[in-house]
Amino acid sequence: MFDSLDISSSALTAQRIRMDTIAANTANMNTTHDAAGKPNPYRRRFAVFAPGQPDNHNAPGVHVEQIKLDDSAFRKVHDPTNIDADKDGNVSFPNIDLSIEYVNMLEASRAYEANVTTMEVNKSMLNAALRLIA
Amino acid sequence: MFLEKLMNQTSAPVLEQMLQFTEARARLLSESVANVDTPGYRQKDLDVKKFEGMLRERVDRRDASDSRSTGFEDLTAEVQHPTTGILSHDGNNRSMESLMSDQAKNGMLHNMIIELLRKQFQQMDMALKERVS
Repeated sequence: MFDSLDISSSALTAQRIRMDTIAANTANMNTTHDAAGKPNPYRRRFAVFAPGQPDNHNAPGVHVEQIKLDDSAFRKVHDPTNIDADKDGNVSFPNIDLSIEYVNMLEASRAYEANVTTMEVNKSMLNAALRLIA
Repeated sequence: MFLEKLMNQTSAPVLEQMLQFTEARARLLSESVANVDTPGYRQKDLDVKKFEGMLRERVDRRDASDSRSTGFEDLTAEVQHPTTGILSHDGNNRSMESLMSDQAKNGMLHNMIIELLRKQFQQMDMALKERVS
């Protein structure tokens, strides 16, 4: 009975990681060069979910299987004044679309809420069962 | 055993079976809610109607028997994969609304059964003590 709480908490962790990748994407939506200062736009990242607990994939639950890089093309903007502009004056911006990130963010937070509700239901069931002893 | 016979004649063993069923179903529903965003995940559920039918049949059989005190230990419910709902592009047939309402119903049913069981135990207690408390 107690492991149904573990199932929901694994989902909370997974949705939290997904939210972190979305936050990183939104924060870096205008990052055009890397830490070394070379023109290298940030690539969009996204979490891929798979069934199973993080430490034991046969136990019921969900975990983040991997953080994948989005291979779609970078956004090209003509701006010769930018320090990351190429010889034609084009700058590559990250392949991040804010509306996609927003939708994913809403989905993640709703899924998080659904799992919290599930936990509440399971907790009330556990409490009721405990009252049988008293 | 006198007490065991006494218990098995009441609805307590039936309630106990229902409790085990609702707990198992709660676990599967939690799993389905946890995996709403998992690509290719197929929802799992237990068939409530089928289980209730089996339970009813067993109760009828008990009431028809001489001793009227058989247990219900061997009842089982198998995990099913519901095919209703729309299959999304990621191969997941989630339906958040039905999941959440099933979960609420299941939780309330569980709590109701607990209350009934508590009442039963209280009455038994009262009879044993021969005192209204």
